[in-house]
Amino acid sequence: MPTTATPTTVLTAHALSFAYDEALVVDDVGFSLAPGEFVALVGPNGSGKSTLLRLLLGLLRPATGHVELFGAAPGELDEPGRLGYVPQRGRLTPELPTTVREVVAGGRLSRRAWWRRPTAVDRDAVEHALTAVALTDLGDRLVTELSGGQQQRALIARALVADPELLILDEPVAGVDAESQRLFRDSLIHLVQAHQTTVLLVSHELGAVAADLDRVIVLKQRLMFDGPPADLAARGVSLGIHAEDLPLWLEDMQ
Amino acid sequence: MNLPLPWPFDREYMQLALVVGIIVGACAPLVGTFLVDKHLSLMGDGIGHLAFAGVAGGLLLSISPIWTALGVAVAGALAVEWLRTRGRTSGDLALALFFYGGIAGGAVLASRAATDGITVNVLPYLFGSILTVTPGDLWMVGAIGATIVASVVFAHRAWFTIGLDDESARVMGLPVTALNSLLAVLTAVTIVAATRIVGVLLVAALMVLPVASARIVARSQRQTLLLATVTGVISSVIGLGIARIWGLAPGGTIVLVSAAIFAVVSVLRGKTHGAPIGHH
Repeated sequence: MPTTATPTTVLTAHALSFAYDEALVVDDVGFSLAPGEFVALVGPNGSGKSTLLRLLLGLLRPATGHVELFGAAPGELDEPGRLGYVPQRGRLTPELPTTVREVVAGGRLSRRAWWRRPTAVDRDAVEHALTAVALTDLGDRLVTELSGGQQQRALIARALVADPELLILDEPVAGVDAESQRLFRDSLIHLVQAHQTTVLLVSHELGAVAADLDRVIVLKQRLMFDGPPADLAARGVSLGIHAEDLPLWLEDMQ
Repeated sequence: MNLPLPWPFDREYMQLALVVGIIVGACAPLVGTFLVDKHLSLMGDGIGHLAFAGVAGGLLLSISPIWTALGVAVAGALAVEWLRTRGRTSGDLALALFFYGGIAGGAVLASRAATDGITVNVLPYLFGSILTVTPGDLWMVGAIGATIVASVVFAHRAWFTIGLDDESARVMGLPVTALNSLLAVLTAVTIVAATRIVGVLLVAALMVLPVASARIVARSQRQTLLLATVTGVISSVIGLGIARIWGLAPGGTIVLVSAAIFAVVSVLRGKTHGAPIGHH
């Protein structure tokens, strides 16, 4: 039986393992996130980051171990809106004309029954989220007409619109222009500081936010490191990661 | 029922066909919009082929072919959805399996019925026929139409969100599997409703072509849905009129009108924007 998470934990991974066919891609990984923490989960390509992310979100079932989100199993949340998820920008490939506002408004479906019409509260939340990512003027544009960085911000707004307590972002700064990276950093810092939102970044490069993190978790199938970024800089390659695999920002910190 | 409508809709049988045609012309693109959104444009075609097997089975067993088509199409739609999401078969392979299985099954059953001495005329089911619409059909198609409109009114936001990214939709707590299954069942039901007028082989075109036209000019999901519906209704009405005037199979004329609208919209759009067709 899963133990109930203490109120000081928003997410706990208990000894997670997962294998595709015979190959173990996530091996006995355990950690937890406290409210208001700003954490990065990093690792080289093929380190099991994406698989771990999918386990945390409840999109995959672990072979062993379990995940607790706000004390419940992922996918069984009474209020799914407490979890915000920003997928990789590449997953956004609308087949039909879709406005930025329509993308963001979709995020409110985690806060109301799917068959209900949006209320004034929903519409206000959409405008608020568009403002937070500086996309108000582009609300009626088609998402396909936006730059990569603007599309990324639209996806962040779709997660923020539900006012989540935990925000999980998958490779949010990959291939994004400097202006969008700066806006992205500012809005994350604001979320963490003003709203006590817990943020988990899953990335192989951290760019602008590296200096603001509370904790870094380094993954390479197993959990290689879990602690403040300063400690990681001191240990560098002794973590058992080949130098050529190290994320770019990690090299900068050495 | 005989309303004072102008030629070519002056006769009662044409008015029955017109009402059914308008309902089908609206409902096929309503459902089709979400199929296109989910990259499942060929879903209607695959299920149409299955419905043909159902029609042939009904003829063989001397049961109303519409009901056997409905049963086979709904079961097939759910099976395709299951294979697509849980099986190891990819979406288009799952469709191909049903595509060919359905048409082969239909051919075998129809030939068996012919051997048994049953008079088999499958052409009206394949390509539609104005003369076969009965007042009873009107009630059935009307009920199906009301169900589809109600479903779209309630579920369109959730379906659009799933269409953008189904994994995010799952994380949001949307019942993705149930909503996908609902769409699959509505696809099957629409196809059967359209059988009398458009025929099982062409109904998929009426699900997809109006959407193709709409997305060229629409500036939002909502506009796409509305424009596709309007285009579907216009195609049906003009197509039925032409079918009466020249004594043609209505399914073919309706789909040709829909294709012509797509061609005109593409050319006009290309002239005003200089963009290639389908560019977005």
